[in-house]
Amino acid sequence: MKKWIVPLIALVALGVSLGSCAKGAGSTIKIGMIYNMTGAQASLDAPSANGAKLAVKEINAAGGVLGKQIELISYDGKTDAETIGKAATQLATSDKVVAMLGFSDSDMVMAAAPIAAKSGIMFVTSGATSPKLPAQVPDYLFLACFGDNVQAAAAAEYAYKNLNAKTVYLLIDKGMEYTMLLGKYFKERFTELGGKVVLEDYYQTGDKDYSAQITKAKALKPAPDILFISSGPDDVGTIVKQFRDGGVKQPIFGGDGYDTPLLVQIAGAGADNVYFTTHSLMDSEAGTPAAKKFIADYKAEYKTDPENAFAGLGYDTVKLIADSITRSKSTDPKAIRDALQTTKGLAGVTGTITFEKGNPIPQKGVALIQVKNGKLVLAAEVVPEKVPAP
Amino acid sequence: MNWDSKHKKTVYILSAVLMVDFIYLLISGGTDYIERIIIGIAINIILALGLNLFSGLTGLFSLGHVGFMALGAYISSILTLPLQTKNANLPDLPGWLAHVQLPFFPALILAALVTMGIAFLIGIPLMRLIGPYVSVATMGFLVITQVVLTNWDTFTRGARTFAGVPAYTSWWNAWLWALFVLYVVLRLKFSSFGRSMRASRDNTIAAESIGIPIVQSRLLAFCISAFITAIGGALWAHFIRAFSPKSFYFAQTFSVITMVIIGGLGSVRGSLAGVVFVTVISEILRNLERGITLGVITIPPMYGSSQVIMALILILMIVFKPTGFFGETEWKARDVIRFFKGFFSIISKGNNGGH
Repeated sequence: MKKWIVPLIALVALGVSLGSCAKGAGSTIKIGMIYNMTGAQASLDAPSANGAKLAVKEINAAGGVLGKQIELISYDGKTDAETIGKAATQLATSDKVVAMLGFSDSDMVMAAAPIAAKSGIMFVTSGATSPKLPAQVPDYLFLACFGDNVQAAAAAEYAYKNLNAKTVYLLIDKGMEYTMLLGKYFKERFTELGGKVVLEDYYQTGDKDYSAQITKAKALKPAPDILFISSGPDDVGTIVKQFRDGGVKQPIFGGDGYDTPLLVQIAGAGADNVYFTTHSLMDSEAGTPAAKKFIADYKAEYKTDPENAFAGLGYDTVKLIADSITRSKSTDPKAIRDALQTTKGLAGVTGTITFEKGNPIPQKGVALIQVKNGKLVLAAEVVPEKVPAP
Repeated sequence: MNWDSKHKKTVYILSAVLMVDFIYLLISGGTDYIERIIIGIAINIILALGLNLFSGLTGLFSLGHVGFMALGAYISSILTLPLQTKNANLPDLPGWLAHVQLPFFPALILAALVTMGIAFLIGIPLMRLIGPYVSVATMGFLVITQVVLTNWDTFTRGARTFAGVPAYTSWWNAWLWALFVLYVVLRLKFSSFGRSMRASRDNTIAAESIGIPIVQSRLLAFCISAFITAIGGALWAHFIRAFSPKSFYFAQTFSVITMVIIGGLGSVRGSLAGVVFVTVISEILRNLERGITLGVITIPPMYGSSQVIMALILILMIVFKPTGFFGETEWKARDVIRFFKGFFSIISKGNNGGH
């Protein structure tokens, strides 16, 4: 019998310690963070979480906010709506955070944000770019990134004006809200400018063989000036490679789903002449000074380069929340939310953040990136002249 | 389950530790958190019982039940969506649906009935199959459901998030349904229908020879279990309130299967135990994996370890106790009392040692 006592006590102690880590002393300001560290969303969310942690570390090293240290309370969402619901509830009612951040996907945001709103806490998403999101949780849901309508308009304007493209072939992934919306906004802005869609084709997330689509695209007469392929990070490498191998030479355009090392790794030389819009060029040589500094700090902390721009978005989101807390001079969640809406010219890794009155999506420039000889170069910083309605 | 086994003490002490941990978690989590856990358990009980009813009675294993859950979720949500949200989110709905907003209960029943109708149609060919072919065919149904939901934009918003569903699921209506389903499933298992089903499961030819209509009764079990699963799906939809077709795919399928296997496929009360066990363990692990400090020792966060441990438990279960906690048996009140008697005697003796 006695041999059981020690492990018993140890395990009970373990249980008691569960809560003690959640209940810090009252001398910190708590920010809640939910990212999917595991599951399908992890390739975007894990870098975001690392970026957010880095930002908290920097802020605390510089003295914190309002004279207090920031405590980042983090849960794994596991790419599962039920788990996210529980985590958001714990953050709101038991950890009593002043603001929440997280996610790169609208499903996940919608599982957490209404729970935060119920407790009067704002939710800032670092990477879910759907401009339709904030209206679903009025007053409490904000984006720290640009909306898909902004990046699609930027791509359309650049293609039409700088590359003189008049016709486009559209290929859209029907399996994701993100790709559907991106394709729709691109089409809207491109045709508004005077361009023409010669063919709109579809595929499904995870398809491995695109020969049917390629045959149709090649049969088009006259051949389109450019291709706009609205795809997610997992498929983009395969698609670009197969289109290039199939003899399609025109420039290929895409959104921030292309911002993954997989593009160049899988497509190889085929990735040349690919243009895509994203939040920032994460390159230690060609990036902006802010991006270069972030890359160096990230590498020092995690022994690896930032995996993609989502790392920068996580970092900027924490900075955005910290800035709001400083300006509100309060730890009241509502005061912090009101301060966030008056953010002006906050310089970040992924561009300068300004919230216009009443708009929950910040005004941000779009980085238009071109692949040249297997390297990413910044082709232009675009602020679109006109943006399709969400 | 035999409580007098040599592992009795291990079971007692481990359950004591788990209980302490879980109660601590609940208390520190606050009422909203407790409510979410309680609703989650009720919905998972309904889903597990739906699968259990079919698999336990027929001996066939369905991998497509999450498809019924998806149908229940989508149909009931389309019916209960407030008109304003409906016009904004689903602008192309046909007129007869666009102007309908039903209260929760009728929407739930309608969704379950429609799902049952679909189960009837696909069940006519499927219930003629035997053994593993049923699993493969029902998985085919799951894939088809997935593709239809993703492409039928008019009704489902395609792959986009279906949001704005009213929060109708509460702890009491979820539990009322769970208890109702429990009652129905228990009554069915010990009815003459249930017994004839189990006879046909154990020896199809012998059962047929005494006049049990196998295909028809399998079809009936399939339809009832689809009805139950659709109810679970509808409750889930009005609990989570934002979902897309990919919420109802393999991840969800395996989550339900894990609970049923751990509890014992074929045991109604085993399903209850499986759901509670998986919920308790995964909640504790989910909070532990965030990293803990034990005095001087600090364990860093290890995200994903909760899923790894859960999978290990499932593998160990299949290797060492393939019938799950309860196999086919139903424990009675007597067993519960015996368990707690033994439990308290060992815990109170503590250091003095029981032996």
